Amino acid sequence: MSALRRITVIVGYEWRRALAKKSVLALIILAVGVQTSILTLYSQFTAGTMFLTEEVKPFMWILGVLQSQGLFVQLIAIIIAGSTMSEEYEHGTADILLSKPITRIEYLSGKFLGGFSLLALVEGLTTVVGVILASWFFGPQNGIQYVPLMFLAIVYSTLIFFCLSFMFSEVLRRSTLAILISFAILIASSMISQLLASLYMMTGEYLYFRLSRGIPTWGASYFPLLLMRELMTIPSTAFLNLINDPLIPFEAEKRGVSEAILVREALQQAAIIVAVYAIIFVLVAVYRLLKSDVTKKTA
Amino acid sequence: MSPQSIIAVSNLTKFYEDFKALDSVSFKVEKGWVYGYLGPNGAGKTTTIRTMLGLLRPDQGEVQIDGVNPAEDPVHALQRVGYAPELPTLQTFFTGEQLLDFMGKMFGLPERTRKERVKELIDLVGLKEWGDKEIGKYSKGMVQRLSVALALINDPLVLIMDEPTIGMDPEATAHFRNLFTNLSKQGKTVFISSHLLDEVQRICTHVGMINRGRMVFDGPIMQVLEAFTQQWVIEAELKKVTKTVISALKKLDYVEDVKAEGNKLRIELKEKKDLRGKISSEIFKRKGVLLSLNLHKITLEDAYLRALKGAQ
Repeated sequence: MSALRRITVIVGYEWRRALAKKSVLALIILAVGVQTSILTLYSQFTAGTMFLTEEVKPFMWILGVLQSQGLFVQLIAIIIAGSTMSEEYEHGTADILLSKPITRIEYLSGKFLGGFSLLALVEGLTTVVGVILASWFFGPQNGIQYVPLMFLAIVYSTLIFFCLSFMFSEVLRRSTLAILISFAILIASSMISQLLASLYMMTGEYLYFRLSRGIPTWGASYFPLLLMRELMTIPSTAFLNLINDPLIPFEAEKRGVSEAILVREALQQAAIIVAVYAIIFVLVAVYRLLKSDVTKKTA
Repeated sequence: MSPQSIIAVSNLTKFYEDFKALDSVSFKVEKGWVYGYLGPNGAGKTTTIRTMLGLLRPDQGEVQIDGVNPAEDPVHALQRVGYAPELPTLQTFFTGEQLLDFMGKMFGLPERTRKERVKELIDLVGLKEWGDKEIGKYSKGMVQRLSVALALINDPLVLIMDEPTIGMDPEATAHFRNLFTNLSKQGKTVFISSHLLDEVQRICTHVGMINRGRMVFDGPIMQVLEAFTQQWVIEAELKKVTKTVISALKKLDYVEDVKAEGNKLRIELKEKKDLRGKISSEIFKRKGVLLSLNLHKITLEDAYLRALKGAQ
C-alpha cells in the first residue's frame, strides 16, 4: 500500500472521528445560524442607511461570506485541530493506530489533512450559505465569479490558528488545554494587534505598525479581505470601512500613496505571515511526534 | 539474529526520566513459539512490548521483527504483526465490524478480503450478535475479545498480546487459550505478556521473566521449571505407615529424606526424576498397601517466585 493510500485512510478516519463529536456539529450549526442572523438583522435594520445603499446591495455577499470568517471559523479551526492528535493519546487509541504499518509522518499528515479538509468543508458551507442569503435578502449579486477564490483565501487564512491548535494538540497531548491556550492566543493576539494599530495611529511610530502586522490574527483576519479589495472595486467607503484594515487609509495618507498599492503590499505580507506561522507550528508538531514516545492513555 | 528468529530484542534499555524501566533486556523468539513474558507489576513488560512495536524510543539497544526494526521502518516491520494492548480502549464511534474493517484498510487489505475477515473474526471471538453495535455499548470483556480480533485482522505472522485474557470470563479465557495454541500450530508466533501463570504454563513453549527491568530468565518452559526446581517430592498414601517402610525408603540412594504424617509419606528425592515406579516397588516389598502415589514437581508459579527472589 502506498504512503498516499495510508494517509487517505487516516483522513477518512479523522473525518469520522471529528463528525462523531457533537461539539463540532453544534459549532457548525451555530456558525451557519449566526451568519443567517447577522444578514437578517443587517437587511432589516440598515435599509436606507449609508451602510446599505442600492450601490452596496450587489456586494453584500462579501459581508455574508466574510463575517463568519472572523471568530467562528477560527474557533471551529481551533476546536477541530485541538483534539486531532491529543484525543488519541487521551483515549489510548494512538497506541492502536501507531502499532499499524504506518509511519509517524504519514499518521500526522493524515490527521492534519483530515482535520483541515473538514474545516475547509465547513468554510465551503458557510461561504455558500453566505452567498445564498445575500442573494435572498439583497437581490442579484456582483462578482460572484470571485467566490471560489474567496473561499480558498478563507481556507488559507485559517491555517494559522488551525496549525497553532494542532501544534498544541501534539505538544501538550491534552485537548482541552490545547483548545484553551489557542483560543487565548487568538483573543490576546486580536487585542494586541488592535492596540498596536492604535498606538501606531497615535504616535506614528513605525515599529508599532510592523509589530501589528506580525501578529497572527492580522494575517488570519485580513488576508481574505485584502484579496477581495485587490480583486474588486466597491463603490462605498462606509461599506469598505466595515471590512477594511484601518491602517491602510491611515498609511496611505501618511505616505501619500494610493490605497491600492498598500493593499497589494499588505496582501503579500499577509500571505507570507500565514505561511510562516503555519510552517513553524507544523514543524514543531512533527518534531514532537518524531522525537518522543507515544504516550499511554492520559484521560 | 538466527534465521528462524522472528523477534529479536537486544540490549534494550529505556529510561522514564531518571527511572530505568528496562535494563539491557535481550531475548529472541523463534517462529512457531508461544512465548510467555512474565513479571510483576511495573517490571517492564508493557514497556518492552511498546518498544517492540516502535511506540517507545529505546535509549539503547534495538528490536527487530522478522529482520526489520519497527522504529525505523514500521511499514514493513508491522505489516504481519498483530497487537492486542492491555485493557484496550477502542474507538467508540465505530461498531465492532466497522473498526475491524478500518483496521483492515490500515493493512491495505482489499475490500473483499476485509469483508470475509471481519465476518470470520467476529464469529471467532463470539461477537456475532454485537458486530453491528457501537463499541461504546460493549462490556470490558467484549472490548477485550474485539481487541484480539483486531490483532488478527491481517492474518499476522506474529501476534503480540499484553494480558489478553484480562476481563474475560472463564469460558472465553479457555476459548482464547485454545485459539492461541492453534495459531501456534499454524506456524504463527505468539508473544503473550501475562500474570496468569497457570495460563502461561498451559500454552507457552517458552518463557521470559523480567523483574525491575532486567531479564531474570529466558528459555523453554521445561528448562525454567528444571532450572528453578530444588527438589522433586513424591507423596504416598498408605493404608498403614510402618517403621519398616520408612527405614527401607530412607536407605535408598536416590532418597534424600522421608517424613511421615498420619498414613501419608513425603519422600524427598535427590534427583529430579520421576521415580514413582521404584518407590512403589519398595513399598510393596515391605508389605505396604499403597492407596495413592503422586509426584510433585515445581509449578511455573514456584519457579517464577524463586526466579524473582533470586534476582532481588
